[in-house]
Amino acid sequence: MIPVKYNLRSLRIRWVTTLLTALFTGLLVCASVFVFGLVDGLMNAFNVSSDELKLIVLRNGATEEIGSQIDGARARELGSVLESEGIATDSKGRVMSSPEQLTILTKPRRGDTIAVNLGVRGVSDMGPSLRPGFEIVKGRMFEPGKYEAITSPSIAERFQNCGLGEELTINNRPFRIVGLFKASGSVAESEVWTPVADLQAARKTPNFITSVVMMARDEAAKQRLIARIEDDEQFGLEVKDEKEYFQEQVKAVAVIRGIGYGLAMFLSIGAMFGAANTMYAAVAGRAREIGTLRALGFSRFSVLMSFLFESIALCLLGGIVGCLGTLPFNGMSSGTSISFNEVTFSFNFGPRVLLQGALLALTLGLLGGLFPAIRAVRMNIVRALREV
Amino acid sequence: MKFLLYIFRNVIRNKLRSLLTVLAIWICMALMTFLYGFLESQKVWSKEAEKHNRVVVMNIQGFAAPLTVRMLDDVRDTKEVVSATPYSWFGGLYLNEPFSFAQFGVDPETVFDVWNDFDIPADQLAAFKDKSNRQACVCDRKLAEKYGWTVGEHIRLKGAIYNVDLDLTLTGIFDPPQEVLSLWYKLEYLDEELKRKESSLQGNVGIIYLRAKSAGAVPELMTRIDDHFSNSEHPTKTQTEGAFAQMFVKMLGNVQNFILFIGVFVTASLTLVAANAMAMSMRERTMEIAVLKAIGFRSEVVLAMLLGEAIIIATVGGLFGVGLGRVLYSMAHNTATQFFPLDSMPWPVMVYGLLVSAGIGFGSGIVPAVMAARMSVVDGLRRVV
Repeated sequence: MIPVKYNLRSLRIRWVTTLLTALFTGLLVCASVFVFGLVDGLMNAFNVSSDELKLIVLRNGATEEIGSQIDGARARELGSVLESEGIATDSKGRVMSSPEQLTILTKPRRGDTIAVNLGVRGVSDMGPSLRPGFEIVKGRMFEPGKYEAITSPSIAERFQNCGLGEELTINNRPFRIVGLFKASGSVAESEVWTPVADLQAARKTPNFITSVVMMARDEAAKQRLIARIEDDEQFGLEVKDEKEYFQEQVKAVAVIRGIGYGLAMFLSIGAMFGAANTMYAAVAGRAREIGTLRALGFSRFSVLMSFLFESIALCLLGGIVGCLGTLPFNGMSSGTSISFNEVTFSFNFGPRVLLQGALLALTLGLLGGLFPAIRAVRMNIVRALREV
Repeated sequence: MKFLLYIFRNVIRNKLRSLLTVLAIWICMALMTFLYGFLESQKVWSKEAEKHNRVVVMNIQGFAAPLTVRMLDDVRDTKEVVSATPYSWFGGLYLNEPFSFAQFGVDPETVFDVWNDFDIPADQLAAFKDKSNRQACVCDRKLAEKYGWTVGEHIRLKGAIYNVDLDLTLTGIFDPPQEVLSLWYKLEYLDEELKRKESSLQGNVGIIYLRAKSAGAVPELMTRIDDHFSNSEHPTKTQTEGAFAQMFVKMLGNVQNFILFIGVFVTASLTLVAANAMAMSMRERTMEIAVLKAIGFRSEVVLAMLLGEAIIIATVGGLFGVGLGRVLYSMAHNTATQFFPLDSMPWPVMVYGLLVSAGIGFGSGIVPAVMAARMSVVDGLRRVV
């Protein structure tokens, strides 16, 4: 085998070319990793949202909370009626069932005049306990009856009138934002929360509930609850496993993922041609060296491997630069609309995404270096040695 | 221009290198042209929409909240309103596939007055208006072609938002100036079905589309409508069709910044790819350039020839790239018309793409070319490569 040192030294000698190649592969890998990070962050928002034991009750036939409608009295009843079937209770012994109303307002983002969708959820006292990792990070929890609301720091930062102390108007009724909450990055962080009664009053929709969220005690209890609700004609309700419910929504993310990967593929092909160019020049410029190596007895295979390694090392160098370039953006939050609902997510450049970037760089180096390496191998020794 | 041949010969001298550079620029510029085409066509689309003085009225609470039939009457009575129709999203499944195309409940009497730029044969319009056929519907030509529908076709839509299925008969096919991939049914039909099921969703017209008498009347008209409803049960938000259309693009999030970000990276990267190739070429030709200068070519001429070479390579790549980007755009238009509303890419995007390519060429050639032009003849002749 030809020592690795030979390749690394070659890269150093031709440092201008090496630097340029590493930079452009770096930039393209960076753009691709950025896309991967976006997709990963988006998927994450849905994945942490789902809880194995959580159930969402909707009107029969409804696929989403918007479009579902349940009578308020029935929704409140549901908790006490079904308690014996296995709804979990919290530390104070209260039944973990929350009748909620979700509505979608159109409000402008900051620095914009055009309004986009913003979800507002009226929650019961139980609402926060049903969201894993819920905590108020700034300000305080709302008090019912005072037209107060809370939201996530990300929405506060991105939407007009949603910052702490500002007033968000719902159906001409101002709601003061009194607190900011986090819920471990789940889709709850894409919403504004108010007490359900206040939202009903402001929207003049008393007794109107879109869904009931409940927590089962255990897996067996969950199955019992599902069976009980679905079999009961009188309820006229449909129940969905939260995981199943979010799976439907993740389908929309799949489209974004497809677009993102398509984009990365285009960029990679471009970078591959550039890398191939560098390697062809390296092979052409080192004909005599290659001839000498072969004459010394190094096999065709070791020459091939040597040049492939050089190409991969070159692109990996770029890949590392590219991955590092995205790190400052880690955790940056953004939002997009999925099935007509604003979803907040954070760019996630975790190990998985960075590995994807490194793999991309590796593939670039391999494919970009393959043909130049083959050319090196096929060189006629005598002619190569004669070359100036 | 006698140097053009010399430049051209240099371009094709190292065929493989030039080809690889052209390919890299080709593929990346195709992507950029496509993305910018997407952005630009949204702008063109909303500008186009402003021409027809159409205005959209929706509930201040957004799409999830209703507008009532009575409000539609009020809107129709407003001064300067020529015609108004309900426009209610059904969102049903056709052949059980979701999001196959848009379906809207409309008022057959007024809908073609609001969209007076849409053409429909008089007899087909009469058939759509025929009160005895409440299941009548119309669609645009593109949609009919997509599913191979002809007039008389039975179309069954499974309700997703509503607990109601629609059994429709196609009575007409209209030709809009831009493809819309939409089906219009009679809102009355849906409402009767909802009443029969005693659904609480009955009596909702969705949003209201209206056409104003003149462009000048639009701003005042919008405030008049919003003021009228501001203290009612359902306050409204009224905006022009263009602003309404922009809302949907904005919902995608920071797409614009995202595309700009990718654009900057790609342009910078391509410049480096091309610069790398140029630098390699210059290095190999050091002696030759020295000879050129030795026999009396001025530095500026040498510089211009080398820059010309870089620009030609990049522009050729850009030319193919813009071409492919255009093809991609047309393909996207055929599959997702709602996001790619124009049937051909706006030409400023293509010109811009070519200019950027030429700029990449210039940027990539400038450093190697200046270095070569500045090099002393003696050094160049002496240098062994």
